[in-house]
Amino acid sequence: MIRAGVKRGTAELAVLSILEDGPLHGYEMARRIEEQTKGALRFTLAALYPMLYRMEQRGWIRGAWETSSSSGRRRRCYRLTPAGKKKLSPLRKEWAELFGALRRLTKVAHA
Amino acid sequence: MPDWQKLVRRRLSGLAVDFTEREEIHTELAAHLEESYESLRTKGLPEQAAMQQTLAQVADWQDLRRRIQVARTRKENIMNDRVRQLWLPGLLTFVLSMGLLELVQKFGPRPFVLDLDKGTPVLMFYTSWLLTLPLAGAMGALLSKRAGGSPRILAISSVFPVLPFGVVFLIAIPAGLLIGHSLAHHIVAAAFLTMMFGWVLVPGVALLSGGLLVQLLSRRSSSPGVTMN
Repeated sequence: MIRAGVKRGTAELAVLSILEDGPLHGYEMARRIEEQTKGALRFTLAALYPMLYRMEQRGWIRGAWETSSSSGRRRRCYRLTPAGKKKLSPLRKEWAELFGALRRLTKVAHA
Repeated sequence: MPDWQKLVRRRLSGLAVDFTEREEIHTELAAHLEESYESLRTKGLPEQAAMQQTLAQVADWQDLRRRIQVARTRKENIMNDRVRQLWLPGLLTFVLSMGLLELVQKFGPRPFVLDLDKGTPVLMFYTSWLLTLPLAGAMGALLSKRAGGSPRILAISSVFPVLPFGVVFLIAIPAGLLIGHSLAHHIVAAAFLTMMFGWVLVPGVALLSGGLLVQLLSRRSSSPGVTMN
């Protein structure tokens, strides 16, 4: 069953999926999501951080301060926890169901 | 270039989290704004336009402060969830099942007694109590489900009344074996088995059957589909 909170669910799925490839800090996460979705998904600072903090409290991701070797900047990098990895699979399934349902619906509408 | 740290600190003033956490949030958000600004400047935007576009990421700083605060205090919500999903349904199930036992002992039929062997403890069942237990287990699971409990929490809530007995028997009987040298070990072991069976396993199965029934029925009644809100 697909649960409520469609917009939040999309954002959480995007973050979990992008972190599956490796740890990232907030800005880089937003940049890659925008790049990989060709601008379809954009995270502003106001949308991204409350969600990251919420996901961290739930134990899906974990943030740790790291210093960049190139710029010397301190950044908080987030990585997927085992709980986050576990969450990713049912989330993907829910979204596949949703998009499948919408595809079927729009096909019927155009017929 | 603007002092992003100062800007974030000023705009998020009043963020009610502890000092270290607040400083970390300021640093993290300032770093994000700084990188956004630098990226826009690299793309050729003039200072003023880059600044405006960077700050446009936050339309309402008060709203952002509130949302960060809510997200950061989620620990308390998790505690509340646990109370609502496990402890409260569990304790209510415990009270109900013990109340039913009291009633059965006072007004119900005599218990079914199984004397296994002379000299060893007997196995005693309050059959009418056992028959009411699925109801108590179902109530525990239902309350937990209404509070958003997972299937595992629902199961624990429904068998909650036998958990204290299980813990006591698992600690008290082995301790009795160690301390009570005067007791024959085979009697203590037999007592352990009969008590575990009569007060934990059988009532546990009865309680769980009610809990599982609730889970089964709720799964059937929840139709697949999308809830948009």
